[in-house]
Amino acid sequence: MTSLLTNYRIWAYLLFFAVLLALPLTGDDFWLNRVAKYLCFGMLGAAIALTWGYAGVLNLGQGLFFGLGAYAMAMPLKLASYTSLQQGSDQPVPDFMLWNAQPGASTDLCCITPGSWLWIPFQSQWFGVAMAIIAPVIVATLLGRLIFGQRISGVFVSIITLALVLLARLLLVDAQPLTNGFNGLTDLGYFNLFGTELDPYAVTTYYVITIALIVVLVLARLLVATRAGTVLQATRDSQTRALYLGYDVPAYQTFFFAVSAAISGLAGMLYVVVAEFASPSFLDLTFSVSMVVWAAVGGRGSILGACIGAILINVLEARASETEALVEAWKAIVGLVFVLVVIWLPQGLGGFAHDMMRRLTGRWRPEALKQEVRQ
Amino acid sequence: MSVYALETEALGVSFGRFRAVDGVSLKVAKGELRVLLGANGAGKTTLMDLISGRTRSTSGRVLLNGRDVTNLREYRIARAGIGRKFQIPSIFTGLTVRQNIEVAQSHHPGVFSNLRIGRSAADRARVEEVIDLVGLSDQMKTEAGTLSHGQIQWLELGMLMIQSPDVILLDEPTAGMTQAETGKTAAIINRLKGNQTMLVVEHDMAFVRDIAEKITVLHLGRVLAEGTVAEIESDAAVRAAYLGSQEISAC
Repeated sequence: MTSLLTNYRIWAYLLFFAVLLALPLTGDDFWLNRVAKYLCFGMLGAAIALTWGYAGVLNLGQGLFFGLGAYAMAMPLKLASYTSLQQGSDQPVPDFMLWNAQPGASTDLCCITPGSWLWIPFQSQWFGVAMAIIAPVIVATLLGRLIFGQRISGVFVSIITLALVLLARLLLVDAQPLTNGFNGLTDLGYFNLFGTELDPYAVTTYYVITIALIVVLVLARLLVATRAGTVLQATRDSQTRALYLGYDVPAYQTFFFAVSAAISGLAGMLYVVVAEFASPSFLDLTFSVSMVVWAAVGGRGSILGACIGAILINVLEARASETEALVEAWKAIVGLVFVLVVIWLPQGLGGFAHDMMRRLTGRWRPEALKQEVRQ
Repeated sequence: MSVYALETEALGVSFGRFRAVDGVSLKVAKGELRVLLGANGAGKTTLMDLISGRTRSTSGRVLLNGRDVTNLREYRIARAGIGRKFQIPSIFTGLTVRQNIEVAQSHHPGVFSNLRIGRSAADRARVEEVIDLVGLSDQMKTEAGTLSHGQIQWLELGMLMIQSPDVILLDEPTAGMTQAETGKTAAIINRLKGNQTMLVVEHDMAFVRDIAEKITVLHLGRVLAEGTVAEIESDAAVRAAYLGSQEISAC
């Protein structure tokens, strides 16, 4: 067995964590806030790698879980906003509800608009935090039971999840009195973490998100290293064989699908803390597809790779879109990078790094090539 | 307990008016290696299908260690202790050789009981023992998808072995193999002989001579002859029915 210290993967993780933790030394608060947002996207990359890379389940509706987490957090933060305190009620009430209320309606959260009572428990921030994780897990578990229990696999899972995120987006926009529809939830307050207000541009907020990302990456990596993680990868290669070995294949797929949803919900929740808004655009198809692109570029077979891929692409996008010469062309550039990576590095940057390390440590053996020569 | 690991009693199946297997009675002792020989259409694979539950029999019984397992569902027969290797190998291509064997070494089928890292020293030792037995020690960390055809067959054999089934059914384990690979397969099977009950369907006479103790010859769904390699090779009925003009000693 390789010893822990000679395993380059561990060093890759440690190096990445060190870079993240050292980043505030640059002293650029504006960029720190941006990077914090991209770290949330990094979690999404890891979540995609978990299902797509390890389970072979391509979810084209990951935005649904991100959106659930985002709204669950945005609701308490909306109530904490100064805009909710001046609506002629003892309790905070979101401003848009007042605009949507029937004339003469009570201005209490219980009954100002139809269904507004759903907001009542969200007066507690921690309820929002809990729901940001629990709601995606519940949805993913029910969905997983349905899909995987019916032995649905491959492209059909992608079609179902894609349809579902669009359906959810429709409902969200349609429920204007409850969700402020197309406009989303804006003018949010700060999250209060044990007495510290999380100002989106503060270093503290950056560290909260960095630590969350580190915990997510370590847990996800440990999870795929368990026996269950190996069985999951086995189901990716041959469901039938895994069944014949006596494994409850749908249970494995559903479990990891739910874990991926929990990570996405957490990402959505933290994103709202730094971005100060939640909107139906989180459930746009383009956003869910972007996540898949991030994971593909970073390497879907590697949790860390997919995470770094998401962060890099977003930094690249931001830089390119701000460079005057590239203002028109940056989307084409990002598209080109994607095409090049898919053609030359089908396993993404993570797979490329893996091969390089094997080559350097002398453990790299071109088995596939040898095979061809032999035959 | 029966002294026989696997018994079939007048086992038969009809597809319409055609009797593919017509009252076959076999008694395979514990640890015995039995080879099933026969021309195409003699009913060898169908007989394996009947034993492993893939096809439901229309007459007769299958006994595993004296216990009736006739026509149980496939996975129940597998759990009862009959492991089967199909002609087309099925392994986990994205996992390493070691991981393939580890996944096959399943004690718990559920997710939550498998949420831990590492395995007991005894389990690890057994995994390495099996990999060694099928001759893949050098490929322990190789991704299974890049193995050669022969190596894939051995890996699948290893996956069967680590489940320690009471009986292993092998359907043409050397199909498509080179001579060297066939030789190695024979060596693996010979090493298992005595401890593992096996029923092997095979065409390749050279290979059969290498491994066989006792041969059962099937012809048109019935047992035509049973005996040692020498007895079968000199049996006039077998020569007439199965070998026909083919010269067996030339193989």
